[in-house]
Amino acid sequence: MFLTLARTIKGGWINFLRNGYLSIAAVSVMLLCLFTISSLFLIVLTADNVLKGMQGNVNVSVYFKSSVTEESIMKAKKDLENYNEVKAVEYITKDQALEIFKKNSVSKPVILQSLEEIGENPLLSYLVVQANDPNQYDMVGEYLKNASFKEDISWVNYRDNKDRIDRLNGTISEVRRIGLGVAGLFSIISLLIISNTVRITIYSHRKEVEVMRLVGASNAYIRLPFIFEGIIYGLVASIISMLCLFIALKLSEQFISRLIPGINMLTLYFSNFTMIFAMQVLAGAFLGTLSSWFAIRKYLKI
Amino acid sequence: MIKFDNVSKIYKDNYVALGDINLEIKAGEFVSIVGTSGAGKSTFLKLIYAEELPTNGRVFFDEKPLDSISRRRISQHRRNIGTVFQDFKLLNKKTAFENVAYALEVCGISRAEILEDVPQILEIVGLGNRQNKFPHELSGGEQQRVAMARALIHKPSVIIADEPTGNLDPVSSLEIMQLLLKINKLGTTVILASHDRDIINKATKRVIVLERGRVIYDEEKGKYKIC
Repeated sequence: MFLTLARTIKGGWINFLRNGYLSIAAVSVMLLCLFTISSLFLIVLTADNVLKGMQGNVNVSVYFKSSVTEESIMKAKKDLENYNEVKAVEYITKDQALEIFKKNSVSKPVILQSLEEIGENPLLSYLVVQANDPNQYDMVGEYLKNASFKEDISWVNYRDNKDRIDRLNGTISEVRRIGLGVAGLFSIISLLIISNTVRITIYSHRKEVEVMRLVGASNAYIRLPFIFEGIIYGLVASIISMLCLFIALKLSEQFISRLIPGINMLTLYFSNFTMIFAMQVLAGAFLGTLSSWFAIRKYLKI
Repeated sequence: MIKFDNVSKIYKDNYVALGDINLEIKAGEFVSIVGTSGAGKSTFLKLIYAEELPTNGRVFFDEKPLDSISRRRISQHRRNIGTVFQDFKLLNKKTAFENVAYALEVCGISRAEILEDVPQILEIVGLGNRQNKFPHELSGGEQQRVAMARALIHKPSVIIADEPTGNLDPVSSLEIMQLLLKINKLGTTVILASHDRDIINKATKRVIVLERGRVIYDEEKGKYKIC
């Protein structure tokens, strides 16, 4: 059993080496397929990360009229905290609001100057409400409209961020859809090309196959070298694809970090290295096996 | 040992390659199958090593019907049968030794056994000193002897030789025939399909004549005869 396995793997490896241009063609197409799939995977992963970051920043700010007492606001806070969809509520006093505003306006001295001229704190105290899920902000909004303290609310701010999230969500699912389509297309092409390559190998080994059958080689022994040949195409392509992906990310590192600040695709690549590599090897070996299987079924009368 | 029970083989377009064959070949026999091209000789042999299955009737090997053997078991069945062909079917990139060893390798035999068995069998067929020659460095007769060594390496109970002398000069043909007779004497059943009148007549063994897929002559110590 072990001997058969060793001999058939060796047979597959020799086929791979001797096929020359055919092997290069098969590996190239497989490489293109795997590279596309893993690039798309990385893009979706990045987009997901950006989305998660944005979701963390999303909240609803409920501003209270200046006449409302702190006691009433605290009551409203408690009320909101008891609401199922709400994850956390933070109370920002008028003074804290002023601090935050000043901090955000450091680069705009005109605004700070006019604030000083007013002489008093014109800002309102507010509650920052975070929902469990970004899709629940509509429900939180509805709740606020009918809340017992609705008369105390000056205004509510939540629309802007939600639109941005919706847009990003849409883009990610679009990228996923296109990615799946492109990956599927490349998979079919590489399936066809590899099975053609294996078919040509079988044809060039037809005499050996005939002799094998005559001397009583088992069907598995005849089939396995061709299956291993297909798997080797997949493995070689996945290793090269990992290298290409690394080079591509290294070259575009600065461009990407300028485009999406705070995202380092290389770190993402290394932290997901095992998963991406395993995914590629599996996909490569699967495509290789499948295409060899088709070729053998059609061309090997065993 | 081998029994044809009412066997017919019909190919596409109702071409009858063999029709209503009923015969038996006993263990240790030497049988020559004779007939013109297209008489059904090769089909007859293919039915024995299960390359083809009969359209009607059954072929038995050691009392087992061959049509009942699963596809996976056919390789086991073929290890009981050594085959030799007119075109030798040797692998040109392998030496005489490697060609014979290959038959053992594909069946999962260990390297140690291969190194022991192959030189022995090459010695028996008279190629002890030509082991490392490639087929193109060997004469036709020598190539056929390599093929014979390969057929014999599994110590099969039957040797099937399909026109083994078809590409050989009279002297080489005679040598191959003598080798087949020697193998037969040692107890192996030999089934030989041939056109060669002289060697068949000299053998004075059983002769079966096929014509258009039917047996028209079957004699112990028969003669080459085409009607």
